[in-house]
Amino acid sequence: MIRVKDLTKKYGNIHALKGVTIEINDKVTSIIGRNGAGKTTFIRILSTQLKPTSGSVNINGMDIDRDINKIRKIILSIPQEAQPVGIMTPLEHLELYLIARGYSLSEARREGKYALEELEMEEFKDVPCDELSGGMKRKVFVAMALASKVDIVFLDEPTTGLDPLSRMEVWNSIRKLDSNIILTTHYMEEASELSNKVIVFNEGQVVSQGTVRDLLAPFKNKVRVEKTNGEEYDVKIGKLSIKYVPNDRAQEYLSKGYDVKNITLDDLFISRGVTLES
Amino acid sequence: MNLRFILIFSYNYGLKFIKRGPSYLIASLALPLSLLFLIFIISGGRLLPYAIIGGVLSIVTSNAINGAADAAFFRLQIRFQDLFVASPLTKMDYMTALTASYFVFSLPGIILYVSLGFIFHILNLLKLIVLILVIFLITISFTNLAFIIAGLLKHIRNVWGITAILSIIATVLTPTFYPYFIIPKNFLMVLLISPITPASIFLQGYFGLAPYDAISIPILIIETIALMIMGNYFIKWRE
Ligand SMILES: Nc1ncnc2c1ncn2[C@@H]1O[C@H](COP(=O)(O)OP(=O)(O)O)[C@@H](O)[C@H]1O
Ligand SMILES: [Mg+2]
Repeated sequence: MIRVKDLTKKYGNIHALKGVTIEINDKVTSIIGRNGAGKTTFIRILSTQLKPTSGSVNINGMDIDRDINKIRKIILSIPQEAQPVGIMTPLEHLELYLIARGYSLSEARREGKYALEELEMEEFKDVPCDELSGGMKRKVFVAMALASKVDIVFLDEPTTGLDPLSRMEVWNSIRKLDSNIILTTHYMEEASELSNKVIVFNEGQVVSQGTVRDLLAPFKNKVRVEKTNGEEYDVKIGKLSIKYVPNDRAQEYLSKGYDVKNITLDDLFISRGVTLES
Repeated sequence: MNLRFILIFSYNYGLKFIKRGPSYLIASLALPLSLLFLIFIISGGRLLPYAIIGGVLSIVTSNAINGAADAAFFRLQIRFQDLFVASPLTKMDYMTALTASYFVFSLPGIILYVSLGFIFHILNLLKLIVLILVIFLITISFTNLAFIIAGLLKHIRNVWGITAILSIIATVLTPTFYPYFIIPKNFLMVLLISPITPASIFLQGYFGLAPYDAISIPILIIETIALMIMGNYFIKWRE
């Protein structure tokens, strides 16, 4: 259980977090938001890498400042854009990381091998990481999380930059973690694939939260229709006119030359500030 | 202290680096060996002891300074540092592990130069021990300088340029390859800010190549401690 109260962070003049108050206690929680929304800042504060400007964070009853050493024993954080060291192999990474967490060499080797097997990386375990694909590199970190058996795993944009197939592989490996997971993403699909609870960040604030179903409730029985320079629209993005209409009017818009799209979490952002007619 | 981590890190990152990326090792030896050759030819062998003692100091120094590129790469680019911040590993363990790995990475050069020292009758066992102690202090000083540089940078792009410049300033300009007493005192005073200067003054005196100057030892030790304190602050463990 994580309790965050009035959390703010300023980098000089930039107000990256503007008073975030939230409780997180689901198995997998996704934080979604556009670039610059404050997701990384939030994750880095929660995982003890960054001091907040003000506010408090409590993780499983421990305070982020007072009990920092205790907290570091039960968390693991895979930073955004983390890459393995090119000359080291996946197994060497696991050994090193687990030893850093206090394992003995033999335990680290055993647990490391086991985790790599679990994630179907056995045949790559002795290949220097600079010879691995992007998806495999990511999975080295997921294997660390799997082997460490910590209470809480933070994953900051675990699949950004990966091709769709590698992304699905990484998702599958994340699903094997027993820990509670807090991940950030700007792929809405990822949030709905991996988590039930979603927290939406915008400009340093939590603007909504709930299950995927809760968040999409305003779009119930609707579709998104869009057309370049269309005359009817709720939102215009560049030349693209976008409108949300009830399912049963989809046919009508098709015949007017609009494309019809199913609603996804993306629509939370596209429709920002629009009052939907029911 | 997580000694196991320090050992495994210096084994993986120091020793295996030598095996899997040998070009770096050769690059780190290229300048001191070229200077050794030049000094030998030009002085007809007379200044060879300077080239050997200076050579070993410059290898250790430039490897430690180049550590700034690694430390910055770990902190800013591949986010390896953050991975360890959010774990039970302490800042001290991490810094010691990196320092140890640069020492390991310097070992082939140290062994080569120590062998030369014995071949040319510059070293004996006692002198070797003193030399190794000085090498330790120099490694610690310059690794901490590396942490300071890595911590101050916001982007990785300039780090290779900065380390190349500092390496040259620290090893060629200072009295590493030449007798410290031939340059004006004022200039020597300025050069004293680099720990390699007091180290060279001490070693040149101790090896009987130049007048012995005892003040060089406390200067070296104080500079090492000062750099450790600053490195500890600038590494930005929890920003
Ligand atoms: N170290 C930093 N120094 C200055 N500004 C920063 C720093 N890190 C992030 N920011 C700024 O803070 C805001 C939030 O960034 P970030 O937390 O990285 O968002 P996200 O992860 O959602 O993309 C952005 O405006 C970003 O430019
Ligand atoms: Mg981010």
